[in-house]
Amino acid sequence: MSNTVTSLRTAGTANRDKDRSGWVLPVIAATLAVGTLGYIGTASLDSIEARALTTDVLLERLFEHVSLVVVSTVVVIAIGVPAGILLSRPGARYLRPPALALANAGQAIPSIGILVLLALVYGVGFRMAVVALVVYALLPILRNTIVGLQQVSPFVIDAARGMGMSARRILFTVELPLAVPVMLAGIRVSLILNVGVATLATYTNAGGLGDLIERGIVFNRMPILMAGCLLTIALALIVDWLAGLTERRLRPKGI
Amino acid sequence: MLDISNAPDGTTDAMIRLTGVTKHYEGSDAPAVAPLTMDIRRGEFVCLVGPSGCGKTTTLRMINRLVEPTAGQIWIDGQDVTHSDPDQLRRHIGYVIQQVGLIPHMSIGQNVGIVPSMLGWDRKRISARVDELLELVGLDPSVYRSRYPKQLSGGQQQRVGVARALAADPPVMLMDEPFGAIDPITRERLQAEFLQLQERIRKTIVFVTHDVDEALRLGDRIAIFAEGSRLAQFDTPLEILTNPADDFVRTFIGEGAALRRLSLLRVGDLPASVDSGEPVDLTVGADETVAGVLEKMLMAGAERVHVAGGATLTVQDMLLATALPKHPALR
Ligand SMILES: Nc1ncnc2c1ncn2[C@@H]1O[C@H](COP(=O)(O)OP(=O)(O)OP(=O)(O)O)[C@@H](O)[C@H]1O
Ligand SMILES: [Mg+2]
Repeated sequence: MSNTVTSLRTAGTANRDKDRSGWVLPVIAATLAVGTLGYIGTASLDSIEARALTTDVLLERLFEHVSLVVVSTVVVIAIGVPAGILLSRPGARYLRPPALALANAGQAIPSIGILVLLALVYGVGFRMAVVALVVYALLPILRNTIVGLQQVSPFVIDAARGMGMSARRILFTVELPLAVPVMLAGIRVSLILNVGVATLATYTNAGGLGDLIERGIVFNRMPILMAGCLLTIALALIVDWLAGLTERRLRPKGI
Repeated sequence: MLDISNAPDGTTDAMIRLTGVTKHYEGSDAPAVAPLTMDIRRGEFVCLVGPSGCGKTTTLRMINRLVEPTAGQIWIDGQDVTHSDPDQLRRHIGYVIQQVGLIPHMSIGQNVGIVPSMLGWDRKRISARVDELLELVGLDPSVYRSRYPKQLSGGQQQRVGVARALAADPPVMLMDEPFGAIDPITRERLQAEFLQLQERIRKTIVFVTHDVDEALRLGDRIAIFAEGSRLAQFDTPLEILTNPADDFVRTFIGEGAALRRLSLLRVGDLPASVDSGEPVDLTVGADETVAGVLEKMLMAGAERVHVAGGATLTVQDMLLATALPKHPALR
């Protein structure tokens, strides 16, 4: 009894500590973003820089970048989670190693290689960029879905079967809720990967913050390059922070 | 004597009947359960004991079809359930395992309410039933209903496991070493409580254990399995201690059969000796055990004891009357 109370309190404290440190990421991100914008607003820019760094352009690049990340992550979840569920069913045990190897390969191949290949074969554009991001970010979600389902105690499942719960009911009311934390961790990793890799989308003409970086390099303009880099970093931090908040909110009580 | 009780005798009071039930796991030569035939009566508490790997768990899990038998038939309450829908079947059979298997993200109340909610009970009825059951297993509903499993001790979790299995008032309970992972002191308390509970609910219980003492303590009848799921003896604890069917059973129940019998025999059942009219030091109830009465006599330094409404017994009377028949030492 008193033990339980203590452990509850400890758990509560740990959570509060996490919450307290939770402001670090958004503050860094905000500082980066504000600093970048402030610099652009006050520095004396030449005509190339001024044209590349208008508020409209920045917002558009940011919007493109976020769209790439969101759309590709949604697609990755739509593919990775059901595939992970199927691969974790006992009947599909023999399919698991080849599927994971494939997803591994997708991540091992340099994204720029995939992008260029896709661009050569299918042409350029937003969709090609999304395909490349999906190939790259599939592994964490697929793997974590499988791992998340596998770590559910076999005794919990046995007891559930013993009570007459159908396989489908067990999947949706026992296994998936218990796998949620691990799956969310995978989704978070995929999201962050995608924020970084989406900077390469500029090579398929899909825009994004990578556009600024590339332009900065091509025209040899440090301010443009820096704006692209810093905004990407700020975005990654914000995304990670939001994902962390979601993870905590969606984690089922009691585990 | 041997095996009469496990041959189906055609009476209808068999709650669970196994006829020629066999399990052959794929990839192993020897069957995990060789053709097994046994009847378990309504309201009876049957313990399955035997060495590790003799097929106790497999036998138990074939009754609710968590393991599909390779051959044979399983009857529950006169119905052949060998081919019925397993999910429906299991909702009417309580199932308790050593690891409990409470669902971690559901509260204690939700865990206990799982089967009733699958059976479509309304919310009010479920919640009343949950409270009733928690009360029954000795957990205060107002404290424990909304807790999560990890906030309970092992013993408390197992109580919830029992409550959950009882939720829809199933006539049959299957229990696989439910107290096996619990410390000895708590285990004894849970056993005693569970016996009292069974007095009230009178379920048909099949209880797997590899602890002979637990089986002797709890079972109305005990099925002792030898390797390869040979049913070596299926009888009452007293009968098993008095007339072990073979050397395997004798070795399995181990030392101290005669002393163990003393806690199974009641003084009321002992034949009265001639009342010598000498003064009695102690009066005891007829359904007290011989072991309990001897303990009292030793504590009180009493030589003779009066059994309420019956005989007067001396220590010697009791020892002679309870001695193992045909024991070499008494010949
Ligand atoms: N799923 C399975 N696949 C293959 N063989 C199995 C399986 N489950 C059990 N067995 C085998 O069947 C035999 C009986 O196992 P079972 O679990 O019924 O034994 P038990 O009497 O419950 O033992 P214990 O006291 O150790 O729990 C053992 O030889 C075991 O190795
Ligand atoms: Mg077992």
